[in-house]
Amino acid sequence: MTRTVDPAAGRIAALGAALVLLALAAAPAATSAGEVRVELQSRDGTPVPGVAVVLEGPAGAPARSSGRHSARMDQQDRRFVPQVLVVDTGTSVEFPNSDHVSHQVYSFSPARPFQLPLYKGAPHPPVQFPAPGLVVLGCNIHDEMVGYILVTDSPFHATTDAGGAARLREVPPGAYRVTVWGPLIHDGGGTLTTTLAVAGDGPQTLSLRLKDPLRRSPSPRPGRVDWDGY
Amino acid sequence: MARRILAVAILLLAPAMVARAGDRLELTGLLDLRVVAADGTTSYLNGGLGRTRFDSDHDGVQLGRLMLAGRFRLTDTLTLNAVAESYADGDVQPAGFSQAYLDWRPFPTRPVRFRLRAGAFYPPVSLEHRQVGWTSPYTLSTSALNTWIGEEFRVIGTELEARWLGASQGYNGDVALVGGVYGWNDGAGTIMADRGWALTDRPSLLLGGLGHAHEHLYTELDGRPGYYAGVAWRHGEALEVRALHYDNRADPGAHNSRFDFAWETRFTSVGVRYEPTDRVTLMAQHLDGKTYVGPDSAGPDQFALRVHPCTPWRATSAVRTACRCATIISRTGRTAASIRTTRPTTRVTPSRWRGSSASTNTGSSSPKSCAFAASSRRDSTSTSVRASPTGRRSWPCDTGSRSRRARLRIDAIGGGV
Repeated sequence: MTRTVDPAAGRIAALGAALVLLALAAAPAATSAGEVRVELQSRDGTPVPGVAVVLEGPAGAPARSSGRHSARMDQQDRRFVPQVLVVDTGTSVEFPNSDHVSHQVYSFSPARPFQLPLYKGAPHPPVQFPAPGLVVLGCNIHDEMVGYILVTDSPFHATTDAGGAARLREVPPGAYRVTVWGPLIHDGGGTLTTTLAVAGDGPQTLSLRLKDPLRRSPSPRPGRVDWDGY
Repeated sequence: MARRILAVAILLLAPAMVARAGDRLELTGLLDLRVVAADGTTSYLNGGLGRTRFDSDHDGVQLGRLMLAGRFRLTDTLTLNAVAESYADGDVQPAGFSQAYLDWRPFPTRPVRFRLRAGAFYPPVSLEHRQVGWTSPYTLSTSALNTWIGEEFRVIGTELEARWLGASQGYNGDVALVGGVYGWNDGAGTIMADRGWALTDRPSLLLGGLGHAHEHLYTELDGRPGYYAGVAWRHGEALEVRALHYDNRADPGAHNSRFDFAWETRFTSVGVRYEPTDRVTLMAQHLDGKTYVGPDSAGPDQFALRVHPCTPWRATSAVRTACRCATIISRTGRTAASIRTTRPTTRVTPSRWRGSSASTNTGSSSPKSCAFAASSRRDSTSTSVRASPTGRRSWPCDTGSRSRRARLRIDAIGGGV
């Protein structure tokens, strides 16, 4: 079943995201009961991948875990892959370093400051993220490397795929606050929030369309070579 | 009659291979061999007046560069970097180090990260030299500006950089302030005064000379340290802007027992590299400064040299005509093409001393150059063909692409001065 959410009726209220156009779309047939599908499009209608989507339940709701206690943030071609990772509070994240060069990952974000040298052939333990918040990752050797780990207490989170869709499964009925965050989003300073009432009688789709253009995305270049020359 | 140079160089096997010994040592090797057919006057490297690296005496297989670069990690934040090179072109020292320094980069704990370098390294001027060993991934020879930097400038001292890391504040980019104090660069200006501008890929080594400057290039004659200060701005991966002021603060009257005088050399450099798409790179650099020697004690042989090598896309004054130095590299899949234009200007004027103004021995030269290049690169081999017309204009620029693996490149260079 597809729920039609009318912004004018207040079923979805844009909070601090006045630049976002909220629209409704027909739910794809692939959605299932208890599933919320959030679709994000840029101003020109193209899908926006790699954006974090978090549904936070009503206050006082019993705490739950998504069941995922480990995650992986790789380093490939001097980039963090994925660039945006959403994890539960307390998750241990591995940094395997698939590059042929060394990295020195760090964060001085209040949510989780750490320093992790990643040398080839040298073991390194995963990093646990015990507190919610946004953790900005950098590399002390390659300044252009930037990654993000969004740590949340909510079990309902995902990142948008190549089609710009994020699927959140087994969402119980209730009123939720939807938070959308991405480093390339210009609207609302990068963080957009709205509300969504999940009725629990079928899958729902929430379609969002940005009003401002995305920030420029750093993208790999052909023949990318060792820029860290000395 | 204009000197004419036609060189065809086939580059064979120029692999840059990375190896490791344990997790502390990282080695990068480069072997650059070329088959050269040249018709030109004797190169400055062999005592002649030619401004190209190879001349008619160098037909056949030549060593472009043999390089071994190492980075040894002493601690998590302290590394020892060294680059050894050989060019086998008659230099008084057949092989030696071009750089050797300690690099300390503590982990940032706040949005400002500090970096300290100490030893011998290049000043942060060039936007072309982005690869290990101060090599360029774009062109075979570099612009006249950065050729000079490679020939006569080495920071033998310390450099401190403070970089504001924008990512933590929601900005994809950073801004850095950099400053350095150094010595042993009182000879900077010798080659410029002797030969003028050139476009080569032959930087100097720390010990030894280059061309007519047979003696050690990096000497300290007056005991006065020099400095540089600059700023750099990176916006994402698309834009990098640098500005730097350099002054070796040499006493132009100081000299050693062989009467090698110190050259007071100062310049301001500004550079922009812009990559609007994944396939296009635009670079432009401007350097303006002067270098002079012996204002107080050298007598009538003294002279001053004002240099304005490259002024890309700049509205210039009518009197101080500058030159343009810009490179465009376009990539489509595995094929790259580049265009570079350079117009370095050297004006030799007599110096003023003791209140009098001399009026003789004034000269200037403004060679123009431009090159078109196309190259095709594969993962395992790289082939580029460059062709430029000959004539009164100089076409000494060249280009090419580098791969971490073996490559094959064909270069055709034509030029005249």
